[in-house]
Amino acid sequence: MNEFLSTLSKEDRLNYELSMLYKQWGYKEYRMAKFEEYSFYSDNRDFLSSSGILAFNNSDGRLMALKPDITLSIVKNAKLTDALTKLYYNESVFRMTESSNDFKEIRQTGVEVLGKIDSYLVSEVLMLAAKSLRTIDEKYVLCVSHMSFIPSLLAEMKISENAKKEIISCIRGKNSHDLKAICDRCGVDEEKTELLIRLSGINGRLSSTLAELSALASNDEMKTACKELGFLDEALAGTDIAEKLYIDLSVLNNTEYYNGIIFQGYVEKAPKAVLSGGRYDKLAAKLRESTQAIGFAVYLDNLNLYYRKEREYDSDILILFDSDSSSVSLLSTVESFVSKGFSVRVEHNAPEGYKAKTVYSFENGALREVK
Amino acid sequence: MLNIALPKGRLGDKVYELFASVGYDCSEIYSDNRKLVFENKENGVRYLLVKPSDVAIYIAHGAADIGVVGKDILEEGNFDIYELLDLNLGKCNMCVAAPNDYVEDFDRPLRVATKFVNIAKNYYISLNREIEIIKLNGSIEIAPILGLSDVIVDIVESGKTLQENNLRVYEKIMPISARLIANKSSYKFKNDDIDTLMEKLKKELAK
Repeated sequence: MNEFLSTLSKEDRLNYELSMLYKQWGYKEYRMAKFEEYSFYSDNRDFLSSSGILAFNNSDGRLMALKPDITLSIVKNAKLTDALTKLYYNESVFRMTESSNDFKEIRQTGVEVLGKIDSYLVSEVLMLAAKSLRTIDEKYVLCVSHMSFIPSLLAEMKISENAKKEIISCIRGKNSHDLKAICDRCGVDEEKTELLIRLSGINGRLSSTLAELSALASNDEMKTACKELGFLDEALAGTDIAEKLYIDLSVLNNTEYYNGIIFQGYVEKAPKAVLSGGRYDKLAAKLRESTQAIGFAVYLDNLNLYYRKEREYDSDILILFDSDSSSVSLLSTVESFVSKGFSVRVEHNAPEGYKAKTVYSFENGALREVK
Repeated sequence: MLNIALPKGRLGDKVYELFASVGYDCSEIYSDNRKLVFENKENGVRYLLVKPSDVAIYIAHGAADIGVVGKDILEEGNFDIYELLDLNLGKCNMCVAAPNDYVEDFDRPLRVATKFVNIAKNYYISLNREIEIIKLNGSIEIAPILGLSDVIVDIVESGKTLQENNLRVYEKIMPISARLIANKSSYKFKNDDIDTLMEKLKKELAK
């Protein structure tokens, strides 16, 4: 099996390994169509991480969209029962790329849990997120945040929505200098400004940062959030992922959809987050009555670039032959190599840059090794 | 090893002096050659000299861990990076400038010449003012003189170039200065190195 996996690209190998991981934890695969009605996505446009939606008219004139997001579709369409709905998926989404302003097909895998979410489920999903990152690279970091810190502090401030957006943008960029300037301009009192700066600057292991965070919790929402993070710390303490969990309150999602614990994952060789997720009861409640939800997505699209597989050889054997050679005899020679587990390529002339462990020429029904 | 992207030119020289003064020197950088990468293994730094407008691109793609870039470039692009520190170097202002005798006509859309298209658009959206953008790549000051535009949006340092072309600052959009930025993933995996550098820079800047 390992030999088989080693022949796959990083993306394909991850697809396989992550599917196995989610299955082992009792998650069921969820398959869906590639497109859905455009109006569904345009109604929930704020939830989408990219603004563009690739739309087309189907045969009966309805405006359809190639899926820009999987979570929305699962929350809307998954069959809910009294038990928890635990799903994983492996799908493509179609999004506008920031760099080229063009649409791109992005492979994404992830898990979603719908139902009554408790502290166990939160830690299970965090555990799966960490294990997913570890499957990509042993060197990983899972940054955990909570939607009750910065948003609840911003809600206490009597400033315009535009100013709040500017502040959120600064916090996401760990930009405390401009954050202070905006707060000063908007007349935010010094104490609150200082608290915002300190909260957004917190950066450390979950276990060692909790006390500092609790000391800064200035309202009931923040105190409840500290308790939730405390449960998580307790549940994961002693596991091998505990030291990979960091508090980073600069991770902020849309407050209209997300609540509770949210997180982002990084691996050493990728320049941006490769995993993103969190609790999204607000979105779930919008689409399905009294349903809570948590999940995450792993972005597989660029991992082949960052984890390039250096292959020593293109195949074990390269056989060069001319048209006069006997096809029957050549075919049986190739078949014999393949049945022994060798990879073989047969060519008239060696392809440019092709590397094979052994090169043979096939002449008069016999192989001759070419040095 | 910290990979640091510096903007080539005057700002880059100033920034390098600042970094060298807090112990991240790399004397080879002064050698008169065409090399663009300089390394000092002892200090654990590798400097990459790149075009100022490309610094943030190198950082966002993880080709460098940290870098220094003007706020104008950050505002104009949309980079998924951390902006860690205002270095207070290369200070100037992003301004709307117009001919000395210019009187704004609110009856029609404003014609704005600039190379900072997004900054200009966002500024006038905030004023709910309809505009027509004329994208230029240099010598922006000439546009209102030739009647190509009503105003320009550009960086103003001393105001001398404006003066010499009979232009004046009409409105200030935002102050600009050099910012220390970091790749988000590098910030997680080289956090101690980046934080140490930042603390040293903060102390030096506070002097």
